[in-house]
Amino acid sequence: MADRRRINGPGGSTLPPVYDDTELDAVSLRQRAPDAIRPLYLKTGVTPSASGSAYLEIEPREGKHGSGMKLACTVHGPRSLPRSAPFSPYMVLSTHVKFAPFATKQRRGYLRDSSEKDLGTLLETALRGAMIADRWPKSGVDVVVTIIEGESTRQDAVERRVEEWDAMNVLGGCITVASAAIADAGIDCVDTVSGGVAALVADKDGGELSMVLDPVALEHESVLAACCVAYLPNRDEVTNLWFRGQLPSTGTHNYQTLVSKAVQASKGVHGLISASLSEVIENSQA
Amino acid sequence: MAQQTLLSPAELAYLHSSLSLSPPIRPDGRTSKQFRPLTAETGILPGTNGSARVCLADGTEAIVGVKAEIEKTADPLGDDGERYREYVKSASGVGGGDADEDRREARGEWLEMTVEIPGLRDDDAGTVFLAELLREALLADGELARKLWINRRFHWRLYLDILLISPPLSYPLPLLSLTTHLALLATRLPRLKSEGDEDPMFDDDWEAAPFLYPRQGAAAGSRPSITLLVVAVGDSILFDPSKEELAVADSALAVSLCEVRRERGQGSMEVDSGRELRLVAMRTIDPPSRLTPPGVPSTANLAASGTADVPLQQKQQQTADEAPQEGVWKAPLGGTPFAVLDSIIQAVLEKGGVADEVLDGLEGVDLT
Repeated sequence: MADRRRINGPGGSTLPPVYDDTELDAVSLRQRAPDAIRPLYLKTGVTPSASGSAYLEIEPREGKHGSGMKLACTVHGPRSLPRSAPFSPYMVLSTHVKFAPFATKQRRGYLRDSSEKDLGTLLETALRGAMIADRWPKSGVDVVVTIIEGESTRQDAVERRVEEWDAMNVLGGCITVASAAIADAGIDCVDTVSGGVAALVADKDGGELSMVLDPVALEHESVLAACCVAYLPNRDEVTNLWFRGQLPSTGTHNYQTLVSKAVQASKGVHGLISASLSEVIENSQA
Repeated sequence: MAQQTLLSPAELAYLHSSLSLSPPIRPDGRTSKQFRPLTAETGILPGTNGSARVCLADGTEAIVGVKAEIEKTADPLGDDGERYREYVKSASGVGGGDADEDRREARGEWLEMTVEIPGLRDDDAGTVFLAELLREALLADGELARKLWINRRFHWRLYLDILLISPPLSYPLPLLSLTTHLALLATRLPRLKSEGDEDPMFDDDWEAAPFLYPRQGAAAGSRPSITLLVVAVGDSILFDPSKEELAVADSALAVSLCEVRRERGQGSMEVDSGRELRLVAMRTIDPPSRLTPPGVPSTANLAASGTADVPLQQKQQQTADEAPQEGVWKAPLGGTPFAVLDSIIQAVLEKGGVADEVLDGLEGVDLT
């Protein structure tokens, strides 16, 4: 459905420009160890007007002028529900995930499309399990995640059609940044939830299958299966599990190992969240 | 899809404890692995390429119509794409993929899916979530998108429109998934007469149109996936939960699987046991039990005890916050241990289990 209230750009007949003069090394392989996640930068309290906010940046690949991922999250509330809303004994959580119009190679419109709504629902499932919602009756919380820069802004991502696997990385980032923003807002949670992604990938040489943490689809020949979890490390529980793909029926690669790898990735991310939050506390005490 | 269930905390606690028994006692008397009976038919809409209707015993009913259109395959690089690719090939010296490999380049976006549920807006997040879940499961094996490829310049665009006719009495995921499965099995696309990269020409004889998922012959391998909804209540695992069961579920998981027929060896007379179930997608569903009202233990209830012993009450409120009391309903908090999710998946993939039973049942549906 077209947005009729704004004057949008042309409706899709335009094509992104193709530049011939960039270097043409389409083959850029993963330099990290299979069980290493990319360096992250997380800062809370970036939006003073919101009750909680956080900014997450995932480092771009080495030696590339291309982008990593940049996400910002704001949490508004808990605030009282509008008078027209029905009574709720719990905090009403609503999540919005939005790509900035310029975040991907293909321009996104202002209205949320189906993949953004889908990510919003997945994020809501991940967060709802962690929050102690009965401490805030009759109130609502809005969690808004904006993806300022997505991973697939580069030409080769479009050409090799790997955007579909990026949704898992985006969700992992959304969970992490939203969890930090909720902690910044001071909303009671059973634990800080963190997102982790793992994938089963095939590499060019010999088609050897391997499992990697925090996969970047562009760095591999093909991705066979991927899994994103939202994990509560102190309770050893999973609030959201999203798995997609095909695993070979024979061999040691099964979904249990894939999920445990994703959990391992989210444990790594959890360390970052707690380090960032404790830094804020130290600064406020000093 | 947060439907308010009109059950009191006492009813919820009763349901939860009876479902946690071993074996669980379900409100409608089913066993834990039993599906609700359903009636199904296909080919009900002559104007579509394939259609199906499934009606569950509780009165929920869904119709799926499949429509196919021819579409020109857009080059992601525009009109200069061909030249650009040649340039890349010559500049990098790498083959850039075999010619044969690009030929069958299929894209998941060729399948479009909409779900219409009465009483919900079509852009409601829950409806979009359902449509994406089903779409992801169908595309996960990559087989369906490849079937839509015609030649390098053209492809089929498949529109799958799911209509829930009755109000959603329970979470309609299994119903919609089974209906979609049947509609895709009944889908036929006109037979292609042209060859190579010509503009496609089709046989206008509908009788000659091949099925999208052929049943006999060499290509009879893959089948569309089905998605089952499984919930865990206490230690028991329940398939095809009703609305009341979902309202007390500790966790809910949608598991999509796909049946792969192994090719039988030539001349072998073994009975048809070559069905292999393969997990293609999983998603946690937010159980509506998190939105149910909590119960108040009668010791803390002033109206029941009639004493205004304030310090005692405060003490009890604090303990009630931490430890759940037997028989007092409290919405589940936190996530699910992976062991529970794992046992759900094992139960779904079990040989001769529920998934086999459902697939056998669907096989019996007459495809017209």
